[in-house]
Amino acid sequence: MIAATRNYLVFLRRCARIAFVGDWRYYAWMGGLTVVCLLGLNAYAKQLVDGLAVTGMSDEVSWGVYIANFTFLVGVAAAAVMMVIPVYIYDNDELHDLVIFGELLAVAAILMCLAFVTVDLGRPDRFWHLIPGLGQMNFPRSMLSWDVIVLNGYLVLNVHICGYLLYCRYRDRRPAKWFYIPFVFTAIVWAVSIHTVTAFLYVGLGGRPFWNASIVGPRFLASAFTAGPAIIILALQIIRRYTHYRITDKALLTLRGIVQVSMIINVFLLVCEVFKEFYSGTTHGASARYLFVGLHGYHALVPWIWTAVGFNLVAMVILVMPVSRSLRWLDLACVLSITGIWIEKGMGLVIPGFVPTPLGAFVEYLPSLNETLVCLGIWAFGLLAYTVFLRMAVPILQGRLARTNEHLPEIQGDEPEVPVSR
Amino acid sequence: MNASPSNSSDKTSDAAMSRRSFLRGAAAFGGLTALAASLAPLLKLHEFTSTEEFLQKYYKEMTPDDMARVLRRITAEVEREYGVRPHVRDLKPMDGVEFIYALNLTRCIGCRKCVHACVAENNPSLNPEIQYIRVLKMPHGSMDVEKGDHTYADKEVPEKGFFYMPVQCQQCKNPPCVKVCPVNATWQEKDGITVIDYDWCIGCRYCEAACPYWARRFNFTKPEIPKDRLNPDMAYLGNRPRKQGVMEKCHFCIQRTRVGRYPACLEACPVGARKFGNILDPESEVSYILREKRVFIQLKEEMGTSPRFFYYFDK
Amino acid sequence: MEPISAHASARLRTRTRVVLGGLAVLFFGMSVLFFLNLWGRTGPQPAIPPVDLRFLDTSPWRRTYADLVKAREDLSDYDCYACHDKAKPPVLRFDSGHRLLVPQEHANIVMGHGSHDRNNLCYNCHNEPNLATLQVRDGRELGFDNIPPLCGSCHGPTYRDWEAGAHGRTGGYWDRSKGAATRLSCANCHNPHSPRIPAREPAPGPHALRTAGPPPLPGGLLR
Repeated sequence: MIAATRNYLVFLRRCARIAFVGDWRYYAWMGGLTVVCLLGLNAYAKQLVDGLAVTGMSDEVSWGVYIANFTFLVGVAAAAVMMVIPVYIYDNDELHDLVIFGELLAVAAILMCLAFVTVDLGRPDRFWHLIPGLGQMNFPRSMLSWDVIVLNGYLVLNVHICGYLLYCRYRDRRPAKWFYIPFVFTAIVWAVSIHTVTAFLYVGLGGRPFWNASIVGPRFLASAFTAGPAIIILALQIIRRYTHYRITDKALLTLRGIVQVSMIINVFLLVCEVFKEFYSGTTHGASARYLFVGLHGYHALVPWIWTAVGFNLVAMVILVMPVSRSLRWLDLACVLSITGIWIEKGMGLVIPGFVPTPLGAFVEYLPSLNETLVCLGIWAFGLLAYTVFLRMAVPILQGRLARTNEHLPEIQGDEPEVPVSR
Repeated sequence: MNASPSNSSDKTSDAAMSRRSFLRGAAAFGGLTALAASLAPLLKLHEFTSTEEFLQKYYKEMTPDDMARVLRRITAEVEREYGVRPHVRDLKPMDGVEFIYALNLTRCIGCRKCVHACVAENNPSLNPEIQYIRVLKMPHGSMDVEKGDHTYADKEVPEKGFFYMPVQCQQCKNPPCVKVCPVNATWQEKDGITVIDYDWCIGCRYCEAACPYWARRFNFTKPEIPKDRLNPDMAYLGNRPRKQGVMEKCHFCIQRTRVGRYPACLEACPVGARKFGNILDPESEVSYILREKRVFIQLKEEMGTSPRFFYYFDK
Repeated sequence: MEPISAHASARLRTRTRVVLGGLAVLFFGMSVLFFLNLWGRTGPQPAIPPVDLRFLDTSPWRRTYADLVKAREDLSDYDCYACHDKAKPPVLRFDSGHRLLVPQEHANIVMGHGSHDRNNLCYNCHNEPNLATLQVRDGRELGFDNIPPLCGSCHGPTYRDWEAGAHGRTGGYWDRSKGAATRLSCANCHNPHSPRIPAREPAPGPHALRTAGPPPLPGGLLR
């Protein structure tokens, strides 16, 4: 028992230590991210003092980039786990280890989501009011209470799976199937639920006709399963380049398949949405009109949405063509997809829901400098977290960080990297 | 594993290690310093929350002793902040009372006196401005609020060809704001008023997104109330001064209506367009109106919110 | 991959040192910048003045005879027989278009009760034999302190609403067991000679927190 605890603590210490060592590119990357993080923290400190008046939000547009980013990242977190399906359901061994990279991305994304929600609160010190038992959780009526439960549950699930698999690899042990397979399958279902619950946050509001539509849920999932695997495709190529970890093109092409189908569905759902909003000509289409063509002289979002639509269409075309099997074209399609969907979830979903207000007033929204710094800070924090996770996971998976070499000098980071056979 | 270095770098590797460790330490120390410095603005954070307020119980779980203590805290805070000793009470709903508000759209002239009477009564922030009532100038023939003008600055009202429609919290029977609040900071009391526990609200603004009438307001920063305009006659769920980061809205002047008085907006209306009272009392004006008048509009009735606010016409 | 040369290894180590050193300097520099607080300050908000007190005044627009009596003020305006002769009721004069000519002693009265001059006849309300009272056409005489039955003799539905408290402002206590309701009389709002409520200056409109975006179209937001 004591030995087991000691072993685990040594493992944690070595993991923590390795996060601070690397070559000059690692330090530059982490240093840069830390700088952005601190800028964001400083901006948040200013927000704590002066309140949310330092953002661009108002009573008319009461949610902004914080919630927009939160929405986007919940999708990424959900989709990151979808790679699990081909591995565990279709027994695709190629992707086996890559599942861990996907789940680590999910953990980083969930941490970012929780950060974005926290910075959006007017009274973050009162977070304990949300804890059932201690506070008052309005479950099951409030969708936000569902969101709190599913997001934290998802975090715990993924941390358990990754942590267990990595620790077993560190100990060079076969992981016990009963201790992770059920959680993996739970995670697959849970992934769908976190994004559906987030969609229902919006769908359930009858007073906002732009959101109160059944298509929002399916669209969320379709766009999440486009953007999420696209991020993973890019992340895997970066891992391949900087750590010599063996990642086959076949893995990337499997993910390409997911992105391809999801993007087609996403574009189809966009067409459905546009038809519904514009064809019948009801006053409920005011928000959609404001978004796509401008209304009463207000048109700040129009260039954004058309850029997003353009990016998505181009990405879809590239993805269906065989030329996207070449990594350069695939990367381009991924970047376009991610950007297009980020714009769609942010400017294309959250903001138009508030314009016009339920009383027909038009007030537009522009994020302030402080708000932007906080967002960048949280993104940097997420990238920082993901890099740290990979910095720990890759050597473990490669066998360079294992129980067997506990007695050897620690990895310094700037020694030349020699690929080690597993 | 380390690549095997040549002999010469073997000797320098120790020096290199210590140089590198020093630099790593320096960078880490620099990072920690920058971390601490980034939090420098928090030095200006004077009174975000007191321990007592932080640990305060949920309203519905407070005992009368708890409430007495809380009221003492609030009295002390208001006195410290504004130099005025307030009279803060926790007023409970009366039995056999359900409030209804009726607004006569034939009579409203759009003078906005109700807006400012509400401000004078309920201590909302002046800057940034919070007003619970928003008067819409609507063209004849339409109830489409998108056609309404919120910022009309006519020399004289009413203007021909328009009617004026004040909108405030409708105290819905089926309130979407209550449904979505994650911490139950807002709920409907038995006399029909939807109230907010300002010390429980976490400021997520989900209720503001959910309200179909744009009735809820958020304190984006520390509210500014001119000392000479502070109304010292306060209620816990009503017009006691709010803090930064919490929601507020019309509460039917709970500090007045629960002691039997009319709300401030009604007292200010020069043309008597506003009518308020207990619908369970057949002798009240509102019972008379709902009995005698013919056309009623509940704003956005299709939302299923079942508002307690009835707009009607005399002719 | 072969092990790299010592030269390349040294280059790597130098780069690492440079980056670490640079980061240390950068962090210390940032600390200074944070303390100087050079950006992200909320600019001064335009001051919104508290509303002028005249818009908070809730007193009725007009004071009736009953109000003057209660306040024990000068009632000489209502002493008709200070000028008129009890034996000789004033004769109404009309112009060529049959419009009432208001005598210049009563020049402050502007007749406007009813469209098409249909009610512009003093003795529709005033009592010719006794100017100190008003008369309802059915023979009743009313004092100036009790005018609602007179108004109600033509304006029935409004009178009914007023009696129920639904017309005109009813202030004070909705719960009559706790206090009295304050009622107003017709003439507190309506000038009996020209009862239509005149247009008035409205109180100031709302000040929005954010003004991002173009100004609204003039004349409201009509499609």
